[in-house]
Amino acid sequence: MVETPQEVAAVLAAHHRRQAVQAVLIHAALIGACLICLYPLLRMISVSLRPGDRLISTDLALIPAGASASSYLRVFKETEFLLWLWNSLVITCVTSFIGVSLAATGGYAFSRFKFPGNKLGLTLLLGTQMIPAGMLLLPLFLMIMRLGLINTYLGMIVAYSVTSLPFSIWILKGYYDTIPRSLEEAALVDGTSRFGAFYRIVLPLSTPALSIAFLFNFTQAWNEYLVARVVLCDAQRYTWTLGLFELQGQYLTQWGMFAAGSFMVTVPVLLIFLYSSKWLISGLTLGGVKG
Amino acid sequence: MISSLLQVLEFVAFLAAAVAILELYLHVHFSYFDHPWFVSATVAVAPVLAAVSGHSLSVGHLPSLVLAAAGIQLVSALVFRYVVRGKHSLPIMLLAPGFIGLGMLIAYPLAFEVYLALHDLKLTTIMAWSRTGHIPFVGFKHFTNVFTSSPLSSVTFGWLFGRTIWWTFINVFFHVTGGFILALLLNNCHRFRGLYRTFLVIPWAMPQVVAILALRGEFQSQYGFINIMLGRLGVAPVQWLTQHSLLTCTIINVWLGIPFMMVIILGGLQSISKHYYDAAAIDGASAWQQLRHITLPLLRPVLGPAVTLGAVWTFNNINVIYLVTGQAGGTEDADILVSALYKAAFTFYRYSYSAALAIVIFLILFIFSILWLKFSKGSESVYG
Amino acid sequence: MRQPWTLLLLVVLAGGGACRQFASGDTDHRIVVWEMEDAAIAPYIDSVLEAFRRLPGNADVKIVRTHYHPEDLRQQFQTASIAGNPPDLIITQSDPAGIYSVSGFILSVDGLFDMSRYNKAAVEAVSQDGKTWGVPISNGNHLMLMYNKSFVHKPPQTMAELFDFCDQRAKEIKVDHCMAFFLGEPYWLVPWMGAFGGWPMDGRRPTIDTPATRRALEFVLELKRRRYVPQECDYNCADALFTERKVAFVIGGDWAISRYEAQLKSDLGIARIPKISQTGRWPTPMVSGAYFMLSSKLRGPKLEVVKRLVDFYTNEENQIGQAKTLMRLPALSKANQAKVIMDDPNLRASMEQLLVGRPMPMATEIRAVWDAIRPLYGRVLSGQMTVDEAVPLMQLDAETKIREMNE
Repeated sequence: MVETPQEVAAVLAAHHRRQAVQAVLIHAALIGACLICLYPLLRMISVSLRPGDRLISTDLALIPAGASASSYLRVFKETEFLLWLWNSLVITCVTSFIGVSLAATGGYAFSRFKFPGNKLGLTLLLGTQMIPAGMLLLPLFLMIMRLGLINTYLGMIVAYSVTSLPFSIWILKGYYDTIPRSLEEAALVDGTSRFGAFYRIVLPLSTPALSIAFLFNFTQAWNEYLVARVVLCDAQRYTWTLGLFELQGQYLTQWGMFAAGSFMVTVPVLLIFLYSSKWLISGLTLGGVKG
Repeated sequence: MISSLLQVLEFVAFLAAAVAILELYLHVHFSYFDHPWFVSATVAVAPVLAAVSGHSLSVGHLPSLVLAAAGIQLVSALVFRYVVRGKHSLPIMLLAPGFIGLGMLIAYPLAFEVYLALHDLKLTTIMAWSRTGHIPFVGFKHFTNVFTSSPLSSVTFGWLFGRTIWWTFINVFFHVTGGFILALLLNNCHRFRGLYRTFLVIPWAMPQVVAILALRGEFQSQYGFINIMLGRLGVAPVQWLTQHSLLTCTIINVWLGIPFMMVIILGGLQSISKHYYDAAAIDGASAWQQLRHITLPLLRPVLGPAVTLGAVWTFNNINVIYLVTGQAGGTEDADILVSALYKAAFTFYRYSYSAALAIVIFLILFIFSILWLKFSKGSESVYG
Repeated sequence: MRQPWTLLLLVVLAGGGACRQFASGDTDHRIVVWEMEDAAIAPYIDSVLEAFRRLPGNADVKIVRTHYHPEDLRQQFQTASIAGNPPDLIITQSDPAGIYSVSGFILSVDGLFDMSRYNKAAVEAVSQDGKTWGVPISNGNHLMLMYNKSFVHKPPQTMAELFDFCDQRAKEIKVDHCMAFFLGEPYWLVPWMGAFGGWPMDGRRPTIDTPATRRALEFVLELKRRRYVPQECDYNCADALFTERKVAFVIGGDWAISRYEAQLKSDLGIARIPKISQTGRWPTPMVSGAYFMLSSKLRGPKLEVVKRLVDFYTNEENQIGQAKTLMRLPALSKANQAKVIMDDPNLRASMEQLLVGRPMPMATEIRAVWDAIRPLYGRVLSGQMTVDEAVPLMQLDAETKIREMNE
């Protein structure tokens, strides 16, 4: 057995060495994975820098010959890029907020209350995801037109907030289930209202699931194209997806500007992901109290 | 710029008002259902409100609106008085706005699809339909066509169905495994974790169309990155896009889908208490045993819904297939049910046929999901 | 519990104000134009529309232009027409004319415009059963041979010359491949079909199962076998190879001329696709162009404004201006011989190619033909099927699809 200080030191050293090797391997694997993820983005950047609107090149160099930032300047000069970004941002933020609020309360109802139709409701939510979305466009257009909502954001806000709802409710419901009821019951005994217990105790403990739901809502709304295409026809109201897709033609596409714009709309999303890492760690640990 | 903000704010106010009215309505009906005047009072008030709002929104047919409001309110009041009786007030009030929104968005379009599938809308009847609103009723003809004829050229429904199942299975499998491995790596890595995570979500964050088109270029047989690399290893060039289109689509879709699963699994992993692992280590559990008995069970609440929904989305995902094969190379070797559906609907204007196919796809998915929820362990987390 | 309810009441009141949003009106002088042109063309379209608006008597006319991707325009226009809310005017290629006319979405232009002023081929591409469905804006959309003058001094006139070039000179100048084009897309197969004496449609009937189709397919396979073209190449690939000077020839459409001129400067040369030596015939690309189509909802004074707009847009001065800025051939016969076109070797070559082309069929059935050829053509190219196996299947498929469309 390990007895002497030297032997202890040797075992510890071996342990540290193993950990160090493990850390190196983990970093190597992660860096490899990052490169695979990064490569198409770099490709996109190289398209945006390439002169002459070429989507593909026979050259593998990431910085193309004759690279120039002119596509970026042209996006700002020749299109209403900033306006589109702004429209997208406003719609996305509002719908993510509405979507997450509805899901947070809805998930709570499913998690904590037994009521007739509880299971049916969850299954119906799943059912909404099964209808091939493109098929709903014609009726959706007819509906939106009859309601006089063409070219307005209301239809889009409703559509975006509720289409992400099934996923958000499911994920939040699953997460709430892991939070012990004893915590709320204690608060209820102390005289807090049911809603107060939810708001002050359950919600703060659910930041990881809430932030996943938020990220999901955000990226869905941010990148949405089909519904926007149906609803909006005034260039002043365009979201960036519509605006950038305007650069696509049947054969001729302004790939340089398209890629430059696409790169610039990716950055905010990445920043949000970077920033969200701190919410993903919960105050409570799964099963930590239950166990 | 300001105008779009104002418009959005206006609509938020409008939506908030709608939600508030709904909640007020429910509150009244949950709290005062036993009051002797409940039914008569609400049935009296509803038509007045309908008349006022109908007038201010300048909706036509005011009398019928008022009558409808009174009728609906009578039914609703009776239901609240004799059936609901103030039970389950909180969950219903919490769920009502979301479900009503979803219902509005789905119900009409779905009913419309069913209508189309049972009638005959196509090129030659479309003109009559848009003028008179009438198209011939054909019953289940289109549904039989779905199973007997091909939505594309030669692929049969059965083949497409099998390919769709395969496509769904392979994709979800790799999404989950890949996401799981990356999440585990990230979870065991302390330095630069945020940075790695940001890079790893790029496929999710990037606009999909650009990502797919950029990747598609890399599969080009002579100048694409992949064949050039394979060439250096001494492998002869592979004609990815024309001969292995399904494989190409799968690789691209796996690449696109891993980050989403990774984020979800990471969210779950980071919340598992370290104590479990410490305790298990003391008991001498191997890493595999820890994974099997601690990590997986504790991940189930988040993983269950993600896998279920992920499968449904993959089943119905057309972006990759459409962008990789739809544009060129002319192949239907990679088509799955939904992509065939879109081609039938939008290139051949077989509206009614494709509506029937859409409903069939929907039903298949629905039956599958119910079976999955019933028999998989994933259901415990969902219905728990 | 009292506070939340007062808050909700306030919200209700605020929301009431938002309701006013829903009132909207439509004006008689607002003309909505949807177009599907490449984005680079938009400034030109706007400039002509603006010039029209500034004409005397048009002060109160307002024109709203919206761009759609071709596929989106097709779908959106149908959807909007079904819903009874279509745009007044669309600018589109000829091929959707078939479906729009069958569905009753567009007006026949006979009697509204003097169609004899326009080039016959351009009008023919939107004519069927004695009726015409669009006013041509430009004549073209046709494929032609484009070459890099620094490699090719004299464009080949026959395929034998082209093959000689590919066997010898192409090896000396070390280009990656001799030529490139969109392999696998039927639109690029049609010129060869014509040169071997066939054509994919006869009236509304597909005529794919012919010796001409077989020989056309064998010809493309031959190009591939001899490695004159890359083994796998879509539109973007051909485009990149040509602009990066890695091929000597490309078969491209008139829409790309101005772009290639910007890229290759004076190195861009244009010629007819060389004669097929065996038959002595020129390959026959499909010819159509860009067209105005009028919504069938147009009536009364608005129709008059739209008529004036279309006449103005396609008048001689604007047709010549269009040729100058967009490198597109005019649709107005009077502008054909304009000095701008005669003096520009590239435009003149494009015109020569146009003259040996054939109008694109307008029938809706053409879509079925494309979609029947495409997957099997792909299989032939990748060696999964022989030409003799594929051709009868193409015919069968096209017939099935047409039957399904009309059943």
